[in-house]
Amino acid sequence: MSVTTAKTDAVMKEPPASATPSDQRERDRMRRRLARRRGGGWWPYLFLAPWFVGLFGLTIYPMLDSLYLSFTNFDLLTPAQWVGLDNYDKMFTDDPVFWDSVHATLLYVLVSVPLKLALALAVAMLLNRDLRGIGLYRAAFYLPSLLGGAVAIAIVWRQVFGGEGLFNDFLAWFGIKGQDWISSPDTAIYTLVLLAVWQFGTPMVIFLAGLKQLPKDVYEAAAIDGAGNITRFFKITLPLLTPIVFFNVVLQIIDAFKTFTPAFVVSNGTGGPLNSTMLYSLYLYKKGFTDLQMGYASALAWVLFLVIAGFTAVNFIASRYWVHYDD
Amino acid sequence: MGHQISRRTLFRTASGLAVAGALGSSLSACSGGTGAGSTSSDLTMTWWGSDDRHNAYKKTLKYFQEKNPKIKIRETYSGYEGYFDKFNTNVAGGSAPDLLQMDTALVAQYARKGVLAPLDSYVGKTLDLTGFSRTLLAAGTVDGKLYGVPSGIGVNQLTVNRSGLEQLGLKLPDREWTWADLKKTATDVHKKSGGKIYGVDDGGGSTLQCFEIFAREKGQQFFSDDGKKVGFTADTLQEWWEYWAEMRKANASPPPAITSAAHNDLTKNAVVIGKALFTFDSGVYGAGGSITDAQLDFLPTPQGGFSGAREGNFVNGGVLLSATKASKKVADSVKIMTFFAQDETAIKDMQLLRGIPPTEKARDLIASGLTETDKLNMENADYISQRVGKATDVLDAPQPPPQGADQIWDLLFQANLAIAFGKKSIKAQIGEFFDQAEGILGG
Repeated sequence: MSVTTAKTDAVMKEPPASATPSDQRERDRMRRRLARRRGGGWWPYLFLAPWFVGLFGLTIYPMLDSLYLSFTNFDLLTPAQWVGLDNYDKMFTDDPVFWDSVHATLLYVLVSVPLKLALALAVAMLLNRDLRGIGLYRAAFYLPSLLGGAVAIAIVWRQVFGGEGLFNDFLAWFGIKGQDWISSPDTAIYTLVLLAVWQFGTPMVIFLAGLKQLPKDVYEAAAIDGAGNITRFFKITLPLLTPIVFFNVVLQIIDAFKTFTPAFVVSNGTGGPLNSTMLYSLYLYKKGFTDLQMGYASALAWVLFLVIAGFTAVNFIASRYWVHYDD
Repeated sequence: MGHQISRRTLFRTASGLAVAGALGSSLSACSGGTGAGSTSSDLTMTWWGSDDRHNAYKKTLKYFQEKNPKIKIRETYSGYEGYFDKFNTNVAGGSAPDLLQMDTALVAQYARKGVLAPLDSYVGKTLDLTGFSRTLLAAGTVDGKLYGVPSGIGVNQLTVNRSGLEQLGLKLPDREWTWADLKKTATDVHKKSGGKIYGVDDGGGSTLQCFEIFAREKGQQFFSDDGKKVGFTADTLQEWWEYWAEMRKANASPPPAITSAAHNDLTKNAVVIGKALFTFDSGVYGAGGSITDAQLDFLPTPQGGFSGAREGNFVNGGVLLSATKASKKVADSVKIMTFFAQDETAIKDMQLLRGIPPTEKARDLIASGLTETDKLNMENADYISQRVGKATDVLDAPQPPPQGADQIWDLLFQANLAIAFGKKSIKAQIGEFFDQAEGILGG
């Protein structure tokens, strides 16, 4: 270490007589490159150690362990027994609830993600202007996302959309007779979708950041050319924003696939009625911790992993055709 | 690309990291190891129940610790939902409680997996079971060994909102009644209330509370002796589901949305929310009488009206107290079990909160201090257990249920619900039920 420092110092002490600003910059860059090559050793790894411990101990090891468990019969209480591909075989050929959960999850993902992003973008557009107290409005719209993951909100949701709930009271003002939205297999999943959409804060903030970066001159040019609001949105805002849209789509899809808490709380841990809110993660939890089939649950987890990875890969590939990067 | 990070790279990297993080957490959350032994020096005890039960337990345990200053107890308690999920995780993680309230329905699987400590070597020494009948102890006995001390007598019954019935000008049916009588009374409730109240909770999917009794009236157990199959026939199930389909059609029972909302949630039970006057019950709604302001009363499950119908009832063990095998404090846990079973103060504090007390002595002790509802509850339980004792045609009390039993019960519930929602026909549902049941129990 001390050797490196000495040499770097030596370089610094001998500036050529005719140093121009650009030479100086060139030399600085050289110096940084040298330092990068010689310095380091094991020091950086020491500082990275806490992260490595977490990565290997809490992520990679458990992942591999769950991969192993997915080929076993494991009830948590007695040692695991190797059963090969039985768990995967059973899942696809002999488990109707698995298909119920796949159905519920896909419905949830495919309906909630587009709605949530559309709402997030719409609100971000509204909030992207210079108004007095705009910060307050932004905070207000972000608030549901801070609350949304909480069990308390899911409990409130259950109350609001229950048979005697607030939502039916609201409908009654218009003379509409509601039903128990949570307890009907045809509507229960949509109460969860609504809960997800309501938590549009995070993508909204990201959209807002993106909107603020859009170059003003393009809009001015468009305005001079007579482009209206709608044209400007579709011809300028949206194309320029596609990297942000892409980022949000990827994240929200992954998030939606892994949704657990609302389904657990709203259905009281049952995934009912008739498995209509049996989101995949909830089923996985039930299998592992209630039915004591941890091997099967691990197999479910790996299938979910592959499905999400697949969705994400498709997203990335498709992004080549619609995401516009201006570099 | 040079030194500058392009927007493309930035987004790709960010998305990639997010993907990795998000996926990693979903997988690593699902992995467990088996350790052993609790680290704390306190004796840990867990139970589930209502607030009333929590308070009674805490009061009694406080008194126990005053008398036994060497034993320090750390209490954890919750509702039933999630209780065994947590217990499973704790056992797998090596932090199982020393002493726990155990469900008679689950004791067999935990005993067979080696999670619970056999208590036989303590019986007659520090475990005082004076006054417990053999049939009652059967509820905690698995493969000939005792793994749990029953807290009391549990019977299946109907909890009735008697004041609601009287307001409609209806009389409480006789205890010797049949399924046809139930149908008539329940239909009357709907008619007399002007269609506002249904008669009886939909029992089509309730195994423990009523279908098991119905099957036993037909001379069939719910599970076969070896626990590898269900013990009843397709005809029995079909008759049962058809009965409830008629009940729903006659508005004697509520529509499925109400049944579904009450699943796993006592507070949404049709009697509790005032939508029905009768509910099938294994002792939770009556105890403490706190679920509704109405005057409750209790009836035995109806009897079969068909020829050759048998006595279907049986006496169950309420809840159990069990010690875990990995615990180093089984001896202390046994002391606590004895305390709950025999100590006068403990018996008086617990009242009916863990079922009707198991011994004559205990029943006499609490008799004077009981509320009207609790008195009626105890009378009905006495009536049922006497009738079961006298019956000559009654089947043996069910074996502790096999592994997977809870999945079968859930299956029955869901199947009945699917019929009620009109998603499936009874016929189709019966085929599916037996198919899936075979997979769960056989595999």
